[in-house]
Amino acid sequence: MKSIFHFILNNFFPEKTAYAHCDIPCGIYDPHSAQVAAHTVIRMTTLINELKASSKEPPFEERKRIISQVARLTNIKEIHAELVKHEVRVLWGDYFKEEHLKEYPDLHGKVFKIMKLASKAKQEVSIDAANELLSLVQDFAEIFYKTKGAEPVRVKTVYPTGGEIVFHK
Amino acid sequence: MLLLQKFKIQGHSMEPKIKDTDVVLVSFIPFLFKNPAVGDIVAFNNKGKQILIKRIKKIENGRYYVRGDNKDDSLDSRNIGFISKSRILGQVIYKL
Repeated sequence: MKSIFHFILNNFFPEKTAYAHCDIPCGIYDPHSAQVAAHTVIRMTTLINELKASSKEPPFEERKRIISQVARLTNIKEIHAELVKHEVRVLWGDYFKEEHLKEYPDLHGKVFKIMKLASKAKQEVSIDAANELLSLVQDFAEIFYKTKGAEPVRVKTVYPTGGEIVFHK
Repeated sequence: MLLLQKFKIQGHSMEPKIKDTDVVLVSFIPFLFKNPAVGDIVAFNNKGKQILIKRIKKIENGRYYVRGDNKDDSLDSRNIGFISKSRILGQVIYKL
């Protein structure tokens, strides 16, 4: 009887697809890229600040070199500040869910601050804004790892920025 | 509204009850006699993008909050919000 039922179902009912999945699904989320990008913003800001001219009225060739260098450093600073925003937005929008907000009610506020600080780091050559940006991204990374049930740890990097990066045990 | 439809499952959000590649029958007949209830596994139209299979977790103001049983890997009401009855195609009544 069961086989007749299955025969009818298999032959007279067209099969469609129903999805039981997430967006991709992949489950691959990581706050690492956002932190590396924030370190890069710090480094670019430092390098711009360290640029010096030999005099108040440097020769044309030296001016050209400095302007070119400022343009290159600023370009990378812009790209990586935008990358911070992108990476954090993806985690915030795709990974974090309502249940996480109950445990971390300040998550929205932190993301909002990260967006504003990343913009400030782009608009200005401010090492304070860049450092504060990294600090908030690190807080964000810690929350992420905690929601994954992993214990976050701060590790000293070998980057020229000398700061830390949040991993997990 | 079709009375009986056959769906092949793609994804893992309803595991362990319904697994990837399982084939299920979905019918609207039960909902001719009762409203969808908490605990029912339903197929619904996700705004024309695809048909999703989820479990009703709660009902508020006649709208349905649906979740995957495998909550770590599921696109559900946590992302898409409450759904209306008009989007529900039927209840999963049988797994082949």
